[in-house]
Amino acid sequence: MLKKIKPKNARSKRALQKREPKTEENVKKAIFIRGSSTSQIVNEALSDLCKLKKPDAINFTKKNNTIHPFDNDTSLNFFCEKNDTSLFVVGSHSKKRPNNLTFIRMFDGQILDMVEVGIENAKSLSEFKTSKCAIGIKPLFLFVGDLFENSQVHKTFKNMLLDFYRGQSVKNINLSGLEHVISVTAIDSSSEQSSDTRAMPGIIYFRVYTTQFKKSGEKTPRIELEEMGPSYNFRIRRFKFANDDVYKLATKVPKVNKPKKIKNIDVNEMGDKIGRIHLGKQDLSKLQTRKMKGLKRIAEDYTEEDLESEELVPLTKKQKA
Amino acid sequence: MDVSEQLETQKSKYKSIAVEKPIPLQYDLALLAGFDTNALDESRLKNDTDNYLKEYTRDGTQLIINQIFKLPITSSDLGIMAELPEQTTVIPREKPLPKPKPPTRWERFAKAKGIQHRKKSKMTFDEATGEWVPRWGYKGTNDDSTNDWLIPVPQNDDPFEDQFSKRHEAKKERIVKNEARHRRNIEDAEAELNQSKGIDARSLRKAELQRQIAMSKTATASIGKFDKPLEGEPKLKGVKRKFEPSIGDVKKEKELSLNILKKIVGKKGDIVNVRKAIAKRDQ
Repeated sequence: MLKKIKPKNARSKRALQKREPKTEENVKKAIFIRGSSTSQIVNEALSDLCKLKKPDAINFTKKNNTIHPFDNDTSLNFFCEKNDTSLFVVGSHSKKRPNNLTFIRMFDGQILDMVEVGIENAKSLSEFKTSKCAIGIKPLFLFVGDLFENSQVHKTFKNMLLDFYRGQSVKNINLSGLEHVISVTAIDSSSEQSSDTRAMPGIIYFRVYTTQFKKSGEKTPRIELEEMGPSYNFRIRRFKFANDDVYKLATKVPKVNKPKKIKNIDVNEMGDKIGRIHLGKQDLSKLQTRKMKGLKRIAEDYTEEDLESEELVPLTKKQKA
Repeated sequence: MDVSEQLETQKSKYKSIAVEKPIPLQYDLALLAGFDTNALDESRLKNDTDNYLKEYTRDGTQLIINQIFKLPITSSDLGIMAELPEQTTVIPREKPLPKPKPPTRWERFAKAKGIQHRKKSKMTFDEATGEWVPRWGYKGTNDDSTNDWLIPVPQNDDPFEDQFSKRHEAKKERIVKNEARHRRNIEDAEAELNQSKGIDARSLRKAELQRQIAMSKTATASIGKFDKPLEGEPKLKGVKRKFEPSIGDVKKEKELSLNILKKIVGKKGDIVNVRKAIAKRDQ
């Protein structure tokens, strides 16, 4: 009845646990994969985009005849499950759609959305003889163009690029670790005639620069840029948006268990911890004051109730007297 | 000379960090992202693309960096850290939110009775040896088979019975019982997940048992053919062959036959693999 894979040792158990759904998710991993036929440009683009995504990226260097994301998604689902990845870039090259890249996002093992772009004017990472950024560093993003606000495809593509390259989500960022910026600029040049009839009008310029902090005489440094590569002009071709229900499920925000409010403990300006204790009302009738002969209770002071409860005390006193 | 004047002169030595934009940028600093909706100079973009993009990006990046340096900053041994705000851009998750674990029988019972979990430390102080030992598990205090060197025989018990092995057996039994409970809890949890499909824990367990009985019956030499049936044993249903009616739909029959032909011959219709055949002939 329980057909789930049962881990046979602690190591595989841990590995399976890492793959389970969590409230705070792992970094999304990406697979860069080739379709049935690819060109030199596509191959270089795939490996360069992979290098940008490292260390959360896997580059598949063999060709795959069965991958056609817009027609059939079974093999992608398989790769997704096998490698625990949810991002894909599929490269292909055909007469119909030359130099083609498909950016794919998955949710729960199924394709969520895809955007297909054609590459023009590609320059690979190695063509720029400049210093590169370190591996695994969060990039800055700059999206230029009102298309990223107005057009649904561009919005999706923006969200996708953010998702691909944002890396680990962190609370604090090291200011010296802001090494590169991914700049994506979209223009809607509908007047210009494109040779690519299958593409939407407009170009998306994808550029990556390394940043240099220069003195500015103020606390904030002046930024100078140097192109690091890769550099592409993308033209959007086919796309597929997420199903509304699935998208709603995918963007559900977990209820964050808020930390309990700590009562009665403060820290003052000096950093001292100050606690407050609530004692309740003090019973002053039982307070032991200074003993004096004049304040002593004599036998007449005792009521009958006292006599019942404190029989011993007055009796012994009487006997003595 | 005034201090502010000095600062001004100091500043003027360097290039400015100020950037003017008609429409201010939008930021999502949790993603270190800036979104610029200003109109671009299209003619410059076409003629001098790379330089223009680089200049434009420099300005945008400067604005993002200015924003980041405005964030609350702490310095730690890792470097100067800026505290990022909450993310505003919605990015879809990779996997659905984890479902809460269904409670075990004990947890349900404890809730009904209002029993609360009290946290106990794992280590306890062993007075006899004066050492801290685990409450349970390896070298634990509750492992009573190892601790006593002598066990008094209870009054009405068989004096020749080995009390040590009796204790050992009892413990083994408890372990088995606990494992059964654990299994039952897992089954219950599984059934709860499948509740929407109308399957309860009992019927799941029943189906599994019946499957196992059927399997064990085939373990004889006659594959269960001459076995006595158990009481209340369900009759096993085998696979029944189905035949198409011998008269009737001609179109369907044709299609079926053609499908078979297609499978054998293949899409292109080449029955003979010419290359292979030539190779065979030349041998």
